[in-house]
Amino acid sequence: MATTRRLTRRQRARLIRGAQYGIGALVVLVLALTANWGRIRTAFFDVDVARGMFPEVITIALKNTVIYTALGFGFGLALGLVLALMRLSSVGVYRWLARGYIEFFRGLPALLVLIAVGYGIPTAFPGTILNRNIAIMVALGIVSSAYVGEVIRAGIQAVPRGQVEAARSLGMSPTRTMIWIVIPQAFRIVLPPLTNDLIALTKDSSLVLFLGATQGQYELTQFGRQELNNAKSLTPVLIAGVCYLIITIPLSGLSNRLERRYGSGAMTRGA
Amino acid sequence: MIDRSRKPAARLARLVGLLAVAVLAAAGCGDDDADTGSGGTSGAPAGVDLVKDGKLTNCTGLPYEPFEFEQGGKIVGFDVDLVDLVAKELGVTQEVIDTPFDGIQSGADLNSGKCDLAAAGMTITDTRKQNFDFSDPYFDATQALVVKTGSGISDLAQLKGKKLAVQNGTTGQEYAQQNAPDAELVVFEDLGLLLTAVETGQVDAGINDNGVLYDWVKDKTDFEVSKEFNTGEQYGIGVRKGNTALLDKINSVLSTAKSSGEYDTIYERWFGKKPSS
Repeated sequence: MATTRRLTRRQRARLIRGAQYGIGALVVLVLALTANWGRIRTAFFDVDVARGMFPEVITIALKNTVIYTALGFGFGLALGLVLALMRLSSVGVYRWLARGYIEFFRGLPALLVLIAVGYGIPTAFPGTILNRNIAIMVALGIVSSAYVGEVIRAGIQAVPRGQVEAARSLGMSPTRTMIWIVIPQAFRIVLPPLTNDLIALTKDSSLVLFLGATQGQYELTQFGRQELNNAKSLTPVLIAGVCYLIITIPLSGLSNRLERRYGSGAMTRGA
Repeated sequence: MIDRSRKPAARLARLVGLLAVAVLAAAGCGDDDADTGSGGTSGAPAGVDLVKDGKLTNCTGLPYEPFEFEQGGKIVGFDVDLVDLVAKELGVTQEVIDTPFDGIQSGADLNSGKCDLAAAGMTITDTRKQNFDFSDPYFDATQALVVKTGSGISDLAQLKGKKLAVQNGTTGQEYAQQNAPDAELVVFEDLGLLLTAVETGQVDAGINDNGVLYDWVKDKTDFEVSKEFNTGEQYGIGVRKGNTALLDKINSVLSTAKSSGEYDTIYERWFGKKPSS
């Protein structure tokens, strides 16, 4: 019987967990002991510097981050839907175009796309004065559409085949079936992963600073860096970081809620 | 049965062990860095501590032609040549680190031990002096305005409501903030992006140091430097606060180079003429 065993399964599990906690505590201890707390306090938690950032950090920086993200995501969503439909098209050329586009832009750093759009277009077409918001919308939209397109394609493919068959047998055309039956259900499925893309784009919007900005156009990262320059303190970076979390954490919460309501499993129950 | 349930546990234990070793090693490395940074060991001669053995690391912001820029895959320029003289004196080689200018001029790069010195076409200012130390001045500069030829813009007052490009963290940005309150200042990360914006007409004018702007317009017919502002600036090489051993070495190399004529040779190589003074 179990007399030959040195440890029961439960004891072993407890031992391993104990070791994990021990290592965790050790890491925290080492970091806490080696960090220079005095410097951290003056550098990151300078109350005067923090106070000086308000209200502009909200009224300008946070607002612009939201605007830039919304512009990019709106464009990305529209383009992504087109890409998804092209990927599933019966026309080979469309499929390959969409495939190539997605592989290309999904593999490029967002920063390069942003610089290519913001500085490349006016260079290639002399005399073009790019509206900054349009440049941002196009650049961030291109980046996010590559991800969004793949997410939507997966969503469309996840709509049960029976839905299409039922619609077709009721006499709906393939186009009408796609628009009225498949796409609405696909969006329900992809809402949680789309929220993830939105969160990622919120952070990528920081790269907009490379396009150059006037004071009224600063988003959170550039605003934080300007303040860092002026105040020679890292506090603005901390504040800017908190502001990103103000945007992203509610989005995560939303994503989780959508996942519970509409995610896998909810579909079959609903249908 | 028993065997099968033990295997994963053993693997886990090994993983945990490895992790612990890695953590300890990382912590150990951190300590080493801190020691070198605060001036203990290092293999450089004459009591000069270097952040990297055998290398004189120079934090600079590329491109800043003709002070530091890439040419044929190598980073060259006026500043690079001067720092090479210091490196030669120390018997080490120069290593250039390209980093955003706001990190250089705020002292963050020097004081965090990222670089030994910063030769970055950088003006000596009182604010910067609070955060790190400067060598003796090695170059005279003023702010200047670059515009499209024939635009008729030759002063800041004419930029009312127009877009003026400035570079993040520079004295030009500071000057424009104080003297062009009616212009819309557009902040760019580096000189290359700023000049591209000027060239493609995204902005109406750009402000930066005269040396780099003259260098840029010299082979352009449709852009000109329309104004110099006589800000009377002087460039200095930055070192970490309190690193007097390195600072003294830089100053002695600079003064030797000036008296021996080597400075003039380098100056002529990058500016096409001898220094005027």
